[in-house]
Amino acid sequence: MSAPSHERLLDPALLARISDLPLLARTVVDGFMHGLHRSARKGLSLDFAEHRQYQPGDDLRRIDWKAYARTDRFYIKEYEADTNAGVLFALDVSGSMDYGSAAINKFAYARMLVACLAWLSQRQGDRIGLATFADALVEMIPPSTRHLNLIMHALGRATPRGEGKLPLAIDRVADVATRPGIVVVVTDCYDEPTAIGRSVDILRARGHDVLVFHLLDRAEEEFPFESAAVFEDNESGLRLPLRPEDLRERYQVMWRAHRTALETRFAAAGVDYIPLRTDAPLDGALYRYLDLRLSRSRVR
Amino acid sequence: MGFLVPAFLAGLAALGIPLLMHLRDRNEETPTRFPSLMFLVRLPIRTSDRRKVTDWPLLLLRALAVALLVFAFSRPFVGNTAEMTADSRAQRVVIALDRSLSMGHGDTWAAAQDSARAVLDALGGDDQVALVLFDEEATIAQTWTRDRASVRALIEATRPVARGTGFGAALRVARSALISAPAGAPSITLITDLQRSGLTGVAGLELPAGLPLRTIVVGGDTRPNTSLRSVEARRVVSGERVQLQVQARVVTRDLAAGRPVTLSLRLAGRDAGTRTATLPASGELTVAFDAVPAPATVVDGVVSISGDALAADDTLRFTLPADDALTVLLVAADEVPREETLYFERALGIGRAPAVRVERRRPGTVDAAALSRAALVVFWDAAPPTGAAAAALGTWQANGGGVAVIVGPRLAERRSVVANVATPTGLADRRTAGGALLGEIRDEHPLFAPFRSTQAALVAPRFYRYARLDPAVGADVLARFDDGSPAILESRAGEGRTLLIALSPDARESDFPLQPAFLPLMRRVVLHGAGHESTPLWRRTGESWVPQAIRQDPVIAAPDGDLLRPGAGAGASRAAVILEQVGVYGAYEGRVEGAPRDRVAVNVGPAESDLTPADPTELLLGVGESTDSTFRGVTAATSIELESRQRLWRWLLAFVALLLLAETVIASQGWRGRARRATIVSPERSQA
Repeated sequence: MSAPSHERLLDPALLARISDLPLLARTVVDGFMHGLHRSARKGLSLDFAEHRQYQPGDDLRRIDWKAYARTDRFYIKEYEADTNAGVLFALDVSGSMDYGSAAINKFAYARMLVACLAWLSQRQGDRIGLATFADALVEMIPPSTRHLNLIMHALGRATPRGEGKLPLAIDRVADVATRPGIVVVVTDCYDEPTAIGRSVDILRARGHDVLVFHLLDRAEEEFPFESAAVFEDNESGLRLPLRPEDLRERYQVMWRAHRTALETRFAAAGVDYIPLRTDAPLDGALYRYLDLRLSRSRVR
Repeated sequence: MGFLVPAFLAGLAALGIPLLMHLRDRNEETPTRFPSLMFLVRLPIRTSDRRKVTDWPLLLLRALAVALLVFAFSRPFVGNTAEMTADSRAQRVVIALDRSLSMGHGDTWAAAQDSARAVLDALGGDDQVALVLFDEEATIAQTWTRDRASVRALIEATRPVARGTGFGAALRVARSALISAPAGAPSITLITDLQRSGLTGVAGLELPAGLPLRTIVVGGDTRPNTSLRSVEARRVVSGERVQLQVQARVVTRDLAAGRPVTLSLRLAGRDAGTRTATLPASGELTVAFDAVPAPATVVDGVVSISGDALAADDTLRFTLPADDALTVLLVAADEVPREETLYFERALGIGRAPAVRVERRRPGTVDAAALSRAALVVFWDAAPPTGAAAAALGTWQANGGGVAVIVGPRLAERRSVVANVATPTGLADRRTAGGALLGEIRDEHPLFAPFRSTQAALVAPRFYRYARLDPAVGADVLARFDDGSPAILESRAGEGRTLLIALSPDARESDFPLQPAFLPLMRRVVLHGAGHESTPLWRRTGESWVPQAIRQDPVIAAPDGDLLRPGAGAGASRAAVILEQVGVYGAYEGRVEGAPRDRVAVNVGPAESDLTPADPTELLLGVGESTDSTFRGVTAATSIELESRQRLWRWLLAFVALLLLAETVIASQGWRGRARRATIVSPERSQA
């Protein structure tokens, strides 16, 4: 099986709809960064990196007037220190992600989501990294402005299998992500909300902004099975002979309670919690998320 | 109602299989995958719920299929169990005992009797036995009985006979005995020296399927034997005397070493000479006796050698026919010159055994007295008589006399039907074309027997003028000229025959008399026309014999003195007699007095002297298996027969198949079919 290419992962039609939305870091990270990113080291770096077109919200002081005189267009001069919002994508590759009752399963959806966000972040000039995990870290690509290709290849190689231990994995991410930044966790959150919350608290305590994309399949929410059958756990291989019609209602109650507990716990930790269903369009979900991020950034 | 194999009913425990499958309601092959069971494992899953039967119709269907399958394998039947099982216990043994001549070799017969007694001793109280004695033929000497003493007495009383061996006949008769066998476990026990020569006739034989055939081979591994294979005896002319010359051929097999042997010849009950020779260990030797004066009458002879382990084939009898000259009446008109019949008369005058004496007569002088001593009447270019003479000729011919008509120019011009065989239509003149040849010859006819290896001799003569003949209905054309005109025709007349010959024996009309084929063909015309075929010196046991010289009420005296009347009750004047015994059979007409009118010597076939044994598997090679319903009772204990008797299980199996088919349809339709469908999408598939 060949690894998926950039083009496969980043649907051009999808990118066309979301490329005009800036990914704004919610917090000011430690670095030499200007513009919308509030940085404690703002202006310390004078190493010119590139021009980029002016976008609403950019600092007017950074407009290159000479370039304006030549081209009659507004360009912003960017410096190396200006782009240092580190974004680390933490992708759950446990066996539970390998499930889908619709046209796309959770892992494929998550991989597209991470690829899109990484591309977007790259265009924003952010440093991007990737950590895949199951019961421990599987692969780690530290954040960098030049790691997009590595991330894409790592996404292509990733295969969902094994048992997942989300709290332990987040702890390991917190250990390796030493510089404060944005940690985007893409997972199906199959663990205790309290344990997940404790791990997220550690990330937050180290200065990271944390976003959690909770991927959901319709069957996970509704448990629509009809006849008695043997159910097999994708992660542990555990098999249970069940009669779904008898358990459906209680299962849905437990599921909703889990969702509520996650929302509550993440809210308490100051973590953005975004549930995404795999049968919902990916671009709509991203647009809503970015819109939410932008609005929250402006509030700050 | 019972079960042939009730042990299979234990398979009813398999009913638990569909029940367990139903209760567990799981399919180990295709479980439903789910991301995580972390919530489900926390739910209290009641065991009673999991074991609750929810699809009673499907469960009952599966349970019924399993139960019927078990019943089918238990082989149910309707009837008495004891009766069914009793068949397989009682033995029904056919003892086929070889009593052919070869069984008299050394101690072979004693060993065979011991083996037969051992078979009897091994039988149980309910077992029954039948005894078949066989040589070339076979007879049921004892039908089914539990009385072993009577069978034992029969075995004791039986002795080898001077007959050959035929395993095919033995097995056929044994098979027929099995048809009437009481219910039980049948088998055939063959006690024999298993001579290879006896295997003839076994191929194609069918025995009931599954029937045990046990072969007990008696006799040693090496069976040395010396036998008289054949004798040649013929009269030879030495000066003015006729002498008898006898040669005997001796065959030896498997002797330890060559051995001297004395051969003796007795003729008409008197010693006629002895010869001493040294025989090879294996091979053959021809010994010629000194010629002795031969009487003209029938001569009975016996050649014998000093005895060995098998004495029965050390003597060979023969009967030399009397040197009776055949009388041929040559009927020719006065205008027929002597030169015209010269070649014909000279040709018949040459040769002996038999000699031919030609008696020339004018037309109209052939009366009953003349006919009584004639074997053949030849009409030389003249038509057979009419009126009273014709009646006498017809009677004589109906009793076996022969008529030959030489059709020449005189008859050809008359253009009237000749002897009801053909009508001359003119004379063919082929002188300008170099003469005619014989174009179509029925070489399989006895008339042309001397020419089968030299057919070119018959197409060499050239015929310049010959009569064209139009055959009558029923006439048989034996040869034609190259223009298609019949050359020789034959027609039956009672027991005699009529020959019409358009081949001119006149040297002026053809070169036929000057050709090599002339003499043998004319002699064959006489012998065949007179019904005088070659007579063998002896015949083999088992052959049939028709005395030639007896016309009415034949009485046959067998070698042991028994009188046989083969024609009695059959309404036939010339019925055959089967030659059962070794010796000389004499035939009389009406009553036994004086010398027999005909006689024949009978010996055992030479094949019986070849004691080479065959392997028992060779016997079985030619024997096939029969599923003939005639043997329904015979093969009662075999599995095939039992299955055919009890068809109930087959119906059960068919019904099970239908049930399983219905189960497949029901389980895959409606909510049952939808229930198990679940879509699992792999990452690769979703991206594609």
